[in-house]
Amino acid sequence: MGSGLSSAFAIAKKDIVTQMRKRFEVFSMFLFALIAVFALGIVLSSAVIQVAESATRIRVLAEIGSGMLWVVIFFAGMFGFAPVFISESETGTLRGLSLAPIPAWAIYIGKVIYGFVLMAIVELFLVPISMALLGYTFSSNISPLIVVGTFCLGTLDLAAVGAMASALTMPAESKATVYPLVYFPAATSGLILLVEITKIFAIGIPLVGPGLFQLLQLIMGHLVAMMTLSGAVFHFTLTS
Amino acid sequence: MTAIEIHELTRRYGYRVALKNVSLTIPVGGVHALFGANGAGKTTLMRIVSTLLQPHHGYARVFGKDTVEEPLDVKRKIGLVGDKPLLYGDLTGRENLLFYSSLYDLDMSEDDNRIEDLSDWFGVKSWLDEPTKILSTGFRKRFDIVRSVLHDPQLYLLDEPFAGLDKDSTQVFRDFIDSHRTDRTVLLTTHNLTIGSEMSDNFVTLRKGEVLSQGPIGEFDGVI
Repeated sequence: MGSGLSSAFAIAKKDIVTQMRKRFEVFSMFLFALIAVFALGIVLSSAVIQVAESATRIRVLAEIGSGMLWVVIFFAGMFGFAPVFISESETGTLRGLSLAPIPAWAIYIGKVIYGFVLMAIVELFLVPISMALLGYTFSSNISPLIVVGTFCLGTLDLAAVGAMASALTMPAESKATVYPLVYFPAATSGLILLVEITKIFAIGIPLVGPGLFQLLQLIMGHLVAMMTLSGAVFHFTLTS
Repeated sequence: MTAIEIHELTRRYGYRVALKNVSLTIPVGGVHALFGANGAGKTTLMRIVSTLLQPHHGYARVFGKDTVEEPLDVKRKIGLVGDKPLLYGDLTGRENLLFYSSLYDLDMSEDDNRIEDLSDWFGVKSWLDEPTKILSTGFRKRFDIVRSVLHDPQLYLLDEPFAGLDKDSTQVFRDFIDSHRTDRTVLLTTHNLTIGSEMSDNFVTLRKGEVLSQGPIGEFDGVI
C-alpha cells in the first residue's frame, strides 16, 4: 500500500513537472474557462438586470452563477483530463509505467492526483473571477473550510472520472468522439450534486430539498464509488 | 533452474492467432536469440513474458513466477528494451532515470551514483541534464537501455534493441551484454541474423506463431 501510494505521488509529481514545462493543458483550460466566464457574465448581467427587485436579482444571479461555474469547470476539465492516459499511450511511455513493479491502481491514483492539481490551479483563479463577473458571493453563514473542502471534493471527483474516461478511451480509434461519451454520463451525477451544493453556498441554506451535509455525503459517496470501481478495473486497460 | 518457462502459450488478436501452443524453456544465463520473420509472434511472446499482455491459453513463468498470477515479482526481475524509448521528452535524462528508479523503490542517493556509472558506460553522462526530446534517436535509446537495467534485472528482454542505433551505439550495447552474459539471462529478438548469431549462445525460431526450431546457435541454419 505504502509503495503504491509513493509511486502514485511520484507519477503525479512527474506529470506536474512536465506540465509546468510545457504548460499546454493548463493554459488551454484556463483560457477556455476565462472566455466562457466572460461570455456568460455579459449575457447574465444584461438578462438579469431586467429583474426589478434587488433581492430576486441577487438570488437569480447566485443560482445561475453557481451552476455556470461548475459547467465551466466540467468542460475545462476535458482539456486537462483527456490527455492524462491518451498522451502516455501515444508516446509509448505508458509501457514504462506498466513495466514497473507497482500495482495498477497506483498509476490510476497518480493520474487522479495530477488531474486534481491541474484543475485546482485553474480553479484558484477561476472561482474569484467568476464570482466577480457573474455577480454572486458565497453566504457568510457557511464556513470557508467547508467551501474549500467541497471544491476539493468536487474537483477530485471530476479528476477520478476524467482519468478513468481517458484510460478507457486509449484503445479507441476516434478518441475525440469516445472520450466525451465516457466522461459526460459518468461525471454528470456528481456535477448535479456540486451545482446544488454551490447554490446553497451562494443563497444560504434552502428551505426545501436535501440539506448541505446530505449532499456532501452523496458527493463523497460518488467519489468513493468512482475511485474504488476505477481502481479495481484499471489493470484491464493496461493489459488488454 | 529455468529463466523462462513457457507452456502451450496461445494468444490471439481477434481471429488472428499470434502464438499457437508455444512451449519452450530458456535456461538461466547466456544470450538466447528469438528469430522470426515479421508477424512470427516474437513481440507478442516478449510482451507476454514481460507481463504487458495476457495469454488466452497456457502460461509463462519467469524464474518460477507466473506472469499473470505474480506480475509484480516478474517485473522486478526483468528489464525490457523495445524499439521505442520509454522516456519523457520534457524531462532530462537524469529526471527520467530518477523517476523510474523511484517506481522500483530504489534508494535515491545510491541510484544517483548508479545513474552516473551506467550513463558513463553508455556514453551519455554529459547529456544527463538535457531534456531527452533534444537528443538524437541513438542517445535516447542509450538512455532507455540505462532505464531498463537501472534496477539490476536478472533477465534482459531485448526486442529489436538495435533498431535506430548507429554502429558505435550498437557496439556499446553489445559490450554491455557481453559483460553480463555469464551472470544474467538475455532474450533477444532481432531481424539482423548476423548480429543475433554472433551474440547468442542459443536460438529459437518462430514461424507463424509456432516454434520452428531451437538449439545451440551453431546449429542455426539461417532459415526463419
